[in-house]
Amino acid sequence: MYIDKELCKSCHKCIPVCPVGAIQAVDKEVHIDYEMCVECAVCLRLGICPEGAIKQVDEIPYPRILRAAFSDPMHRHESTEVLGRGTEEMKTNDVKNEFRRGEIGFSIELGRPVLGAYLRDLDKVTRKVTSMGVTFAEYNPVLALMKDRKTGELKPEVLNERVLSAIAEFAVPEDRALDLLDEIVDFIEDELETVATISMISRADDQGNIELLEKLRERGYNPYPNGKVNIGMALIT
Amino acid sequence: MTHTLNRTGLSEKRKGEEIVILCMIHYKLKEQKGNEMKEMARILMKYQPNNFIGSPLGLTEEQLIPMAAGVGVLTAVFTEKNDVVELIKEIKSKKLGISVVISALFSDVRDICKEASLTEHTYNCSVGVFGKTEKLPDELVMEITTQCGHGLISQHYVNDVVKRIRKGKLTPEEGADLLAKPCVCGIVNRKRTGEILSELAEREDTH
Repeated sequence: MYIDKELCKSCHKCIPVCPVGAIQAVDKEVHIDYEMCVECAVCLRLGICPEGAIKQVDEIPYPRILRAAFSDPMHRHESTEVLGRGTEEMKTNDVKNEFRRGEIGFSIELGRPVLGAYLRDLDKVTRKVTSMGVTFAEYNPVLALMKDRKTGELKPEVLNERVLSAIAEFAVPEDRALDLLDEIVDFIEDELETVATISMISRADDQGNIELLEKLRERGYNPYPNGKVNIGMALIT
Repeated sequence: MTHTLNRTGLSEKRKGEEIVILCMIHYKLKEQKGNEMKEMARILMKYQPNNFIGSPLGLTEEQLIPMAAGVGVLTAVFTEKNDVVELIKEIKSKKLGISVVISALFSDVRDICKEASLTEHTYNCSVGVFGKTEKLPDELVMEITTQCGHGLISQHYVNDVVKRIRKGKLTPEEGADLLAKPCVCGIVNRKRTGEILSELAEREDTH
C-alpha cells in the first residue's frame, strides 16, 4: 500500500483508520510506513481518501504477499494454499469429528489483539510447540511457511514479514493439555515481543457439558465467560 | 479461524446482549449445499440481525440471499435472545445439514440450546491474552476493537470517533456505524459499540 503524493491533499483523514498505525504524517506530508504496514487493505477498502490517493501496487511480491494473506480477510490465500488465516477448527466439528472426546484443541494466535506480529515470533512458537511433541492441524496455513515440520522451523525468507495475526493450531491428549498450556504461557511471557491469544477446544459430553472451564479456573486461569459453541445442527437430518 | 472468539466486555450481568450466529458448510460439502445456504440466509435475515456478513461492504439483505449459494460461511449478530431461540428452532426444523456456531455467553448458549432441545457439541474457550499485554490499549477501547476477530478496527480510529462525538460532530450511533465498516464479516455489534462510545465520550479527555 502506498500514498500517491501527487493526489494526496494532506487532509490526514486516513491516519487513524490503520489498525497498526502505519499511516503517518511527517511534516504534514502523509506516507505509509512500508515496514509497519501489514497489507490489510483497510485504508483502501474504506474509501477514506476523497482524492483516491491510497493505492496498491499491481502485484505484491513474495514474501511480502504473506502480509496480505495473514492480515486481509478478503485476500485469497494462494501463498499458503489455504483460504483464511486459520482452519475450520471446531466450526464444522459436528461434521468432521476432528476434535474427539479425550482431546483438547489449541489455537495460539500471535499478534492478536491489536499489536500484530512478525513471523519470527511465530517461528519461536512453532519451534517450541514442535519440541513439545505436538502435530499441527492439517490445512493450517502456518504449515505452508515451514521449512522443516520436524523442528517447526519456518522458511528464513518469511521471518521478517509482519502480519495482523498468525495462528498455530494443534490438538493434544486431554491429560497433557493443562501442563502444556502452562509451559506455552511461560514461553510466551518470556520470549515474545508481542501478545498472543490462546484458546482451547473441547468436545462436549452427551449432556452438552465440558470440564475444561472449571479445570482452567482451578489452575489459576481466568477464561472468558463467553466463547464459541458448535450446537450440533449439522447432525439434525 | 477463531474470529468470533476473544470478544471482551461481555458479562453475566447483561445476559443476551450479544449473540453472534455463524453458519458454515464443511468445505467438502460446499458444492452440494448451495440451496441450503440460501435458505439459511433467508432465515437469518427474517430475524433482522443488528449486522451481517457483507453489510459493511454495502451488501443488502436482498443481495445476500442469492449470493449465499456460493459462500461457505454466513454470519449475523443479534441482540435479542428470544429472537435467536426462534431462529435456531426454525433452522433446526429445516434440517439443512449445515453447522451452526453460537458465539455468546456460555450461559446464553445453554439457555438457547435448552429452549430449542439441542445439546452443545463442541466448545471453543478463550483462555486470555498473554505476552506484552502492557502494550495494549484501554480495556473499553478493546471492547470495540476485539469485536472484529481479524483485528481490522484501529484503536486510533476508535479514539478519533470518540473525539468527534465529544465535539458533537457524530452521534454514538453514527460512530458505531463507522467503526463497524472495517469488519467485513459483519460481526460488530453496532448497538453495544454505540453504548461503549457513549461511555468513552463521557470520560474526561486525557489525550
